[in-house]
Amino acid sequence: MALDLSMPILVVDDYQTMVRIIRNLLKQLGFEEVDDASDGTAALSKLKNRKYGLVISDWNMEPMTGYELLRHVRADESLRTTPFIMVTAESKTENVIAAKKAGVNNYIVKPFNAATLKSKIEAVCGA
Amino acid sequence: MMGSAARISGSVADRLSPQSMITELMEIADYISHMRTEIAALRANEMTRDRIPMAHEELGNVLQATAGATNTIMEAAEAMLALPDDAGYRDSVEAQINTIFEACAFQDITGQRIAKVVEALRNFELRLARFASAVRARDEGGIDAREAERQERADRLLLNGPQPNGPATAQDDIDALFA
Repeated sequence: MALDLSMPILVVDDYQTMVRIIRNLLKQLGFEEVDDASDGTAALSKLKNRKYGLVISDWNMEPMTGYELLRHVRADESLRTTPFIMVTAESKTENVIAAKKAGVNNYIVKPFNAATLKSKIEAVCGA
Repeated sequence: MMGSAARISGSVADRLSPQSMITELMEIADYISHMRTEIAALRANEMTRDRIPMAHEELGNVLQATAGATNTIMEAAEAMLALPDDAGYRDSVEAQINTIFEACAFQDITGQRIAKVVEALRNFELRLARFASAVRARDEGGIDAREAERQERADRLLLNGPQPNGPATAQDDIDALFA
């Protein structure tokens, strides 16, 4: 199944440079519809107003972390099937396992490269 | 029994004798004098007036310089991505690459600023260690409410932050979990 390059993607990170890096990488991969939010609360609000094909989220943000956002998304009937990739500097095994238990589809440790991001999106969104 | 009572009574009498009271007061005066010397050596006023504000300012400048350089580099990279595939492509790319090289010069200045902060921290550490040793300081058990709240949130939400020597779990090991 080919990647749907028209699907809207929500990038959630409180560090604007990281949002910009991911936006550019996604643009390079051919994705045109990229939106962003600076924490879980803002992301949840956007997710309730628009259907996104993928969420790419950082973990450590305030007031709502990416981990809390993931749990909210998976607990919400209308959002629970939205693909979710965590992109974070939280690299302890307990973080990865907690995210997997909470229903994350894939997990990328920062710093990462374009090839890693591409392969995870393909794995999650089906290429 | 009577012997014990007499010994206790004698001991109290010794402690309350003018000579022993003078000795104790002199020891207390010596201790206070020693404490005053150690507090003066801590130079707390200099730390709060000069060194801590300097560290704040230097780190603020580092943040600003890092953000500025990152922005310049990102802009140059984005400009290169947007270049038309024409005869001037190479010249335009070289011009943007030179901008990136120039922006990387921030590292020299920020390195020097960070070195000043590290030196100030080392100085605090030495003074505090000397003071703690001189007054035989012991840490109180509790932590303040805001710190306790911050720690509770970090524990509950697994906010471990970046690990000191790179990722604690390699991407390949993570990938194996998701295979």
